[in-house]
Amino acid sequence: MIELRHAGKTYQQGSREVRALRDVSFVIKKGEFISIMGPSGSGKSTLLNLMGGLDQPTSGEVFIDGRPLHGITDNELTLIRRRRVGYIFQFFNLLPLLTAEENVGLPLLLDGLPFSEVKPRAADLLDKVGLRQRAEHRPEQLSGGEMQRVAIARALITGPAVILADEPTGNLDSHTSEEIFLLLKSFNDQGQTIVMVTHDPKAAAYGTRIITLKDGAPDQDIVIGGDNP
Amino acid sequence: MNLANLLRHVSFKHVRLQKTQLAMAMAGICLGVAAMVAIDLANRSVLRSFEDSINHVTGRAALTITGTDAGFPEAMLERVQNVPGVEYAVPVIEATASLTGGRQRPLMILGIDVLQDHQIRDYSITDESADIPDPLLFLARRDSILLTKAMAAQEGIGIDEKIRVQTVAGLRTFQVRGLLNPSGPARVAGGDIAIMDVYAAQMAFGKEGRIDRIDVSLLPGETLDAVRERIRQVLPGGYSIDTPATRTKQVELLLGRFRKSMGFISCMALFVGMYLIYNTVSIAVVQRRKEIGILRALGAGRGDICRLFLAETLLVAAVASLVGAGLGYLFAGATVGLVAQNVTDMYLRTSVTELSVSWQAMLGNAAVGVLASLAAAALPALAGARITPASAIRSLPYAEESVLLGKKMRNAATFCLLAGLLILALFASAEPGSSVRSLGVILAAAIFLLLGISLCTPLLLRRIVPLCHGALAACFGAQGRLAGLNLQKNVSRNGVAVAAIVCSIALFVSSANAINSVRQSMFDWIDTIIRADILVSTGHPLATGGSPTIPMPPEMRQELAKVDGVKDVDVFRKTYLDYGGRKVLLEMFDVALRLSYCPAMITEGSREDMLLLSGRDNIAVNEGFAVKHRIKRGDTIMLPTPAGPAPFTVTAILVSYSADSGVISMDIDTYRRHWQDQLIDTYEVLVQPGRDIEAVRTAILARFSSERRLFALPAAEFKAEVQKVLDRSFVLTNAVNIITLVIAGLGIIITLLSSVLERTREIGILRGIGMQKNQVSAVVIIESALIGAAGGLLGIMSGVLIGWIELEGIFRLDFGESVVYHMHYGAMAWAMLLGVSPAALAGLYPARRAAATNIVEALTYE
Repeated sequence: MIELRHAGKTYQQGSREVRALRDVSFVIKKGEFISIMGPSGSGKSTLLNLMGGLDQPTSGEVFIDGRPLHGITDNELTLIRRRRVGYIFQFFNLLPLLTAEENVGLPLLLDGLPFSEVKPRAADLLDKVGLRQRAEHRPEQLSGGEMQRVAIARALITGPAVILADEPTGNLDSHTSEEIFLLLKSFNDQGQTIVMVTHDPKAAAYGTRIITLKDGAPDQDIVIGGDNP
Repeated sequence: MNLANLLRHVSFKHVRLQKTQLAMAMAGICLGVAAMVAIDLANRSVLRSFEDSINHVTGRAALTITGTDAGFPEAMLERVQNVPGVEYAVPVIEATASLTGGRQRPLMILGIDVLQDHQIRDYSITDESADIPDPLLFLARRDSILLTKAMAAQEGIGIDEKIRVQTVAGLRTFQVRGLLNPSGPARVAGGDIAIMDVYAAQMAFGKEGRIDRIDVSLLPGETLDAVRERIRQVLPGGYSIDTPATRTKQVELLLGRFRKSMGFISCMALFVGMYLIYNTVSIAVVQRRKEIGILRALGAGRGDICRLFLAETLLVAAVASLVGAGLGYLFAGATVGLVAQNVTDMYLRTSVTELSVSWQAMLGNAAVGVLASLAAAALPALAGARITPASAIRSLPYAEESVLLGKKMRNAATFCLLAGLLILALFASAEPGSSVRSLGVILAAAIFLLLGISLCTPLLLRRIVPLCHGALAACFGAQGRLAGLNLQKNVSRNGVAVAAIVCSIALFVSSANAINSVRQSMFDWIDTIIRADILVSTGHPLATGGSPTIPMPPEMRQELAKVDGVKDVDVFRKTYLDYGGRKVLLEMFDVALRLSYCPAMITEGSREDMLLLSGRDNIAVNEGFAVKHRIKRGDTIMLPTPAGPAPFTVTAILVSYSADSGVISMDIDTYRRHWQDQLIDTYEVLVQPGRDIEAVRTAILARFSSERRLFALPAAEFKAEVQKVLDRSFVLTNAVNIITLVIAGLGIIITLLSSVLERTREIGILRGIGMQKNQVSAVVIIESALIGAAGGLLGIMSGVLIGWIELEGIFRLDFGESVVYHMHYGAMAWAMLLGVSPAALAGLYPARRAAATNIVEALTYE
């Protein structure tokens, strides 16, 4: 499904070279719910960016469904992001001008589908995340939890191979966070592969497997049950 | 398709939310296009008016035959009439006269053969004199004249009424025998035209035995070229045998410099408009950086982002350009009179009655506006496309990846500056008259230099602003320090606003300097050549061609000399002749007398060489003419005379700004010998030493008051008239400069407004810790004034350079090297004030917005 072979990422910060990731190798199988943990600066978000094609490795290889994400053109990478990956961000990253429905349908609109075709699919997903009545609302009219549920619906609309969630509850209270984890878990139960970056061990326990990072390299890789703690 | 989706679901929502910024950006493009359309329409209307006049006055004539403006022997008519293929050949006298009484209305006199002329032109006369039922009788009565209905109504003149008209022969009385309906020749000169019999016109206008033109129609089946060739064979060389279209073309060539300079300033207005677009799109890219990141993360490609910004620009620019075209039409309506007045003052008499609207041209200008906007948006759109999704989503500061301060931009700035300087060096080192010495080349240098300076602006700001923090804090306290820091923090974006001001101030200063140089050089020249005490003429003394000046008979010289207090009388005659396909000005005076009291401004040759003109077939030419036609001292050139081309030797090169198409000077006796024209346009009177000039002037006017209406201007008054005409000719340039400044002002408002909107949280913090509303306003206004001051200073420096380029490319090419670059220090001080004041004013609205920030909302703002 997703495979990293000796993937590394180095940034240039002024005259200093920063190695954000070094020699990361692992495989994520279809239907897994991976929690990635580690202290700040351990390379969690960088790893997620490499898996989602937001960034490219400076060394090693990354594959999604057997297709390489390294050494391909920006256009090819863009299409992979659009069709094969669903993103959920800590700060939701909804477009403030668009309604919930339009935000959800945005990846399909980018693919050139007419809104008449996108609308029922977006409505269906909003229904699944419990926001059918909020379809016409703009982000500023929604609560944090509602915004993140819109973001989840958006991540799902293309039927992606994997959903990548970067601290999806980092900006939410504990009650709302739990609702979000349960929602993600329910989609995972239906076979959706999910990779989630989190600081919170309680949140990580929603996963079926936990990978911890330390100084840009994998430290531990633990398979767990994935039940609600 | 996904572009359509993005436009519909993303862009249109931005439009709804950012109406103010959008409206200002649109206003900028709108004004730039309006300036272009207005100038283009006004120019076209003037040309069209000439074309219409030529067509109406030539009627069905396929060919018109002309010599010099002084006319040619009427014997030529018979020769042309006998040419096979010629259907009709009719004589025409074209002269200028003026109605006396009332407002001394100038009018064009068309002297025609009343028996033949209807074969060429149609005359529609509704009100005819009962005394003259047929044209033969019209011919028999030499005091008969036909006026247009419009003029008769305006002047309150009726049928059979007698009118007094100033002619070459003096004041003459004519009887109005009919009124012409507004069709055919009656539409010429806005209806200020009168028809006379050709013979009567010859008598009244000192053209006995001569005619000005022959209009020719062809027999069916004859080709234009064949008949033209046959006519050429029966006439001496030097005659022009043109189609009406060729005559229009000649007018177009004559107005070349005027059109060139107007085109130049309208291009510059659009150039500043491009800055506004560049600024607006750059700001949009910065403000929507996160949106771009999200779209990129969700699968929008770089091309999609670039196309999105370009498509938004296209839509905005298309609407603004179309509105601008409409506004330009209104501006043109308001300015066409002024353009026509300028053309009349400087070239040929014209009156534009209606705008000549060419939808293609208007749409063409609108399209130029759209293309210029797209070109201006391309760089920021590409910068937007380069934003990486990961960095945008993580909200890394944009400045780190700002293209405006990057190495590529430095290289581009260096390239533009070097290219501009290289082109300038090439221009300066090229031989006068070579193809490198053209407006296009010098314009390219100006654009490269302006671009280079503009691209350098953010880099310069980054270096200069930190040096000013101390001074700002000392002058304005904490507000000054904060304003300086804000300017430094947003240096790339503020750099664009500064660059827009640089361009508009540079344009303002360059125009002021170029205009000042021309004015000053002209005044120096006039001071040198006008040494007579009183100038006597029948019309405006400065008008150089087709003017309401009615020539005077040669006998007046003796009459003037007899006036008490007159020491001597010099003569001046001017006419246009065709040389190298262009109309050049031929100026005649009494060379020996002139040189005895007036130094000539000679650039090549000596006073002795000038004396060689007296009575001989020698001429002097001005620098512009010499350069254009690559003529050197000692060369012999052929000039068309009524008897055919005659050789004349160039003995000196002179400074003369009388006409930008070229000036040839000749002794009056030489001219009379070749052209058989005795008339004089201006008598230049020298007053005896110690005599009161005003008293002599009064005596001259009194002496001729019963014969003709005269202008007798003391030299000082004449020079003041020159100044008035020159100043009037630059009113349009100043108007476009003001439009350009307005566009730059809009740029500042957009920049500051977006800057304030982005700093809502920061302003909230400042207010939260106790900064007063007026202190917040002061920070924004000081920042704004700093942008203006930086733009003003750089603009003045650039303006000095561009002004010199403008002088080289527009004026020196036509008038010669003698035009000296005179900087206008007053205008530069104004420019600084114009840079700082509108900038500070432009900061008022954002300052109000900043001061009105709600502290609680701002602090919770994300």
